[in-house]
Amino acid sequence: MNHDTEHVQKPAVAHLIWWFLFAQGGVIAAILLPVHILVQGILGPLGIVHVVDRNFDTWANVVGNPIVKLYLLVLIALPFFHFAHRLRYLLVDLGLPAARSLPAQVIFYGAAIVVTLVTIWILLTTVPISFG
Amino acid sequence: MPRGWWLRQRHYFLYIVREFTALPLALWLLWLLFEIHRAAGGPKHFYASGSLAFIAFSVICLGFALYHSYTFLSLAGVIINIKVAGKPVPSRIIVLSQFAAWFAASILIAAVLIGFAR
Repeated sequence: MNHDTEHVQKPAVAHLIWWFLFAQGGVIAAILLPVHILVQGILGPLGIVHVVDRNFDTWANVVGNPIVKLYLLVLIALPFFHFAHRLRYLLVDLGLPAARSLPAQVIFYGAAIVVTLVTIWILLTTVPISFG
Repeated sequence: MPRGWWLRQRHYFLYIVREFTALPLALWLLWLLFEIHRAAGGPKHFYASGSLAFIAFSVICLGFALYHSYTFLSLAGVIINIKVAGKPVPSRIIVLSQFAAWFAASILIAAVLIGFAR
């Protein structure tokens, strides 16, 4: 009886964290990503508008800002937790049930964690933090 | 399930496309990470991506990004339940607020990306 009560009261914290990361990553990608692709990937390279990343001085100035660094971390890292979940289940849907297994979970969510760590490292080492 | 089940109905196909959007979006974000890292070499080594191949890649990614935004933000009306003064907010209003947030964020980000350029 006691054992049952303990089982019921134990919150599924891990499940909650992964679900939160999946949902937030989806929102971040939906709301923030299209305009980055349009401006930095198409309008800037075509020369239709001047964009901050076309020139070293302006790009380094923006990337050095601590608020921008935090923004870029959220923009790049969070969606990967969303992508990891979607691509894992895409493989299941396309006939690869092994994508449900624990090793597959470690590979997919591990990759999202690796991208997060690499993003932090690049943001901390590329341009020193400056408020200029 | 038989192979190619998702090619049999338009609805299944669009579902698979929706799930697949993750891959091009992940690749584009990895490119952005690379673009940030390129600033580490200093002004002499820095160059901005401008090849036709890169622009074509971005155009394809933008298509998938817009599809992700449209499908994901439309889902908010099903997932989010808010009550104001004891009455549930209609899902149409919730979806509209999501699209408004998308529009406002896009204008703000474009203003920063273009406004701080020289």
